[in-house]
Amino acid sequence: MALFGSLFCRLVLGLVIAFLFLPILIVLTVSFSSSAVFAFPPPGFSLRWYASLGKADSMLQAVWLSTQIAALSTAISLVLGTLCAIAITRGMIPGAKAVATFMASPLMLPGLVLGIAFLQAARDFGLRDTYSTLLIAHVVITMPFIMRTVLASLSLFDFAMVDAARMLGRSYPAALWTVLVPNILPGFVSGGLFAFIASFDNYPVSIFLVDVRTKTLPIQLLNQVEMSPDPTVAAISALLILGTIAALIVCDRLVGLKRMASI
Amino acid sequence: MSQQATALPPAAEAQHEPGYLAVSNVTKRFGAATVLDSLSLSVGRAEFVSLLGPSGCGKTTLLRLIAGLLAPDQGAIEVGGRDLTRVAAHRRNIGVVFQNYALFPHLTVAENIAYGLRAKGVPKGEQAKKVADALGLVRMEAFADRAVTALSGGQQQRIAVARAVVVEPSLLLLDEPFSALDRKLRETMQIELRHILRNLGITSIFVTHDQDEALVMSDRIAVMNEGRIEHLGTPSEVYARPKSLYTMEFVGQSSRIGGVVTGGRDGIVEIDTPFGLVRAPGHFLTGSKVVVGVRPEAIAAGEGPAGEYNTVRGTVAEVIYFGSRTLLHFRTAREGDRLHVELNRLPDTVAPGVEMTVRWRLDDSRVFPAPGGADR
Ligand SMILES: Nc1ncnc2c1ncn2[C@@H]1O[C@H](COP(=O)(O)OP(=O)(O)O)[C@@H](O)[C@H]1O
Ligand SMILES: [Mg+2]
Repeated sequence: MALFGSLFCRLVLGLVIAFLFLPILIVLTVSFSSSAVFAFPPPGFSLRWYASLGKADSMLQAVWLSTQIAALSTAISLVLGTLCAIAITRGMIPGAKAVATFMASPLMLPGLVLGIAFLQAARDFGLRDTYSTLLIAHVVITMPFIMRTVLASLSLFDFAMVDAARMLGRSYPAALWTVLVPNILPGFVSGGLFAFIASFDNYPVSIFLVDVRTKTLPIQLLNQVEMSPDPTVAAISALLILGTIAALIVCDRLVGLKRMASI
Repeated sequence: MSQQATALPPAAEAQHEPGYLAVSNVTKRFGAATVLDSLSLSVGRAEFVSLLGPSGCGKTTLLRLIAGLLAPDQGAIEVGGRDLTRVAAHRRNIGVVFQNYALFPHLTVAENIAYGLRAKGVPKGEQAKKVADALGLVRMEAFADRAVTALSGGQQQRIAVARAVVVEPSLLLLDEPFSALDRKLRETMQIELRHILRNLGITSIFVTHDQDEALVMSDRIAVMNEGRIEHLGTPSEVYARPKSLYTMEFVGQSSRIGGVVTGGRDGIVEIDTPFGLVRAPGHFLTGSKVVVGVRPEAIAAGEGPAGEYNTVRGTVAEVIYFGSRTLLHFRTAREGDRLHVELNRLPDTVAPGVEMTVRWRLDDSRVFPAPGGADR
């Protein structure tokens, strides 16, 4: 019976892993396909779709735009979110608990609603620039991920250390930078990573804010699949997977995945 | 108890140039609560002053005000003649040893100590020398490259002291630095820290709620109560001549007997108490409700000559044996009264229930107005 149980567990585990990884494997395989249609298994292998990426200008632009928006919005959220989390943790603002719950919850509104709201707000404020509108919206998207991890890190942080740094001659900002930042770095890295990914693959909010010349990657990818469903999309996806693995390795080197996961 | 050992020779007191730290009429409120109420404190250069009081009386608040980590609502704070009231904490050059040490876990022992030197832009080579000196001062040379998280409580404490003094602050503030240590270690660290700080000649304000600690370590003690200083004096003054009932009760053991003044002359009042007539030095109107306080070790067994001594008779309620001394608790007729007698050698006949005569010198008695008694 116990043997059966353990076998069963292993089977389920294997299935779950397969379920998670098979799509990735399929995308990777198709990206090396020689066929011009999205067929699995591919009739033969080639690197032609990777080569075609070099000519896919609109796709590369979208990658570049999404990278910028994700990096900038994550950076802005890290700074603003950390300052806000400090204010909440130190009880500097009234209703700190409520603010914390609000800021750290994953967005409670459906992305679509938020997208429409942003579109409306941008119009009302006369904000014409697609790039800025996208950036502001993505700060809102990334903020909860930062708030979550930073609040968790700060709850373990002894603020007497900041006082100690000040008494040793550092101004308050310098004390935060030299004492608080290194001590909650794992929280920054894991929060930052999630925030970056959340921004990078956001579709429902961005769809309302992009224009013809300014498209983020998920939107451009979907366009591409609708218009010419060839394995270029698979090649891009394969590169993104590679990029993610690289990012994880860097994070591991920086703070250790174990420490990150424990935040 | 080591009160006798702590009495400083008068010379040591005289050498402290007075008013080096001057806290003047400082008031601090948190919302509606007034935590410090127009408090003033003057500390001499190189003096070691303890702030002694129960938890919540405002000790940490006063320390943080001096450090500049809090701003007072009213009043001024000066160090060495310089008004610091509006100076930012990081420009005050005041060292602090925090209650939980607040060492930086991402830095090694040596880097922790070098932190303040770096912040002040001390050249690298000089930094290394100063760090080494500071480590030597607290006898932690061997630990320079350790992680601070790998140190014991006592070792962390030493590093916190080294980190604070290495930048040569004009004033050192210590907030209950021994509270996390066990009793034995605490006693060694008390002596050692006092030794280090005296040698450095650094002016120190030391917060504690432990009266023994304050008595052992201080040049002077400020006994605090609800945001005010009740008594500022040398350990022997505070212990032997407390200015208030509160001080008498907070510092050390005490006997207290309530009564009503029935008369008096030549600076001696006569008080009617449940133990009979008691006389003590003081000036009170006839009819005042008062409390007579005596230290248990000032009371001896047996009768004394009437002119100099009070002699009372009572029933022993409890005998508490400490080895070198024995404490007797007497039965009292009234709530709040306490007759505790400390004897070095115990007569064989003494046991609970036995009647006994005890005496103490008039000079050893202190009289205070009864708490809450408006009819003074
Ligand atoms: N930041 C604060 N906000 C509100 N009340 C405070 C704050 N800090 C201290 N208090 C209150 O002030 C009083 C004195 O506190 P504290 O100075 O820490 O006392 P102690 O160090 O003597 O134990 C306490 O009643 C405490 O609750
Ligand atoms: Mg305190």
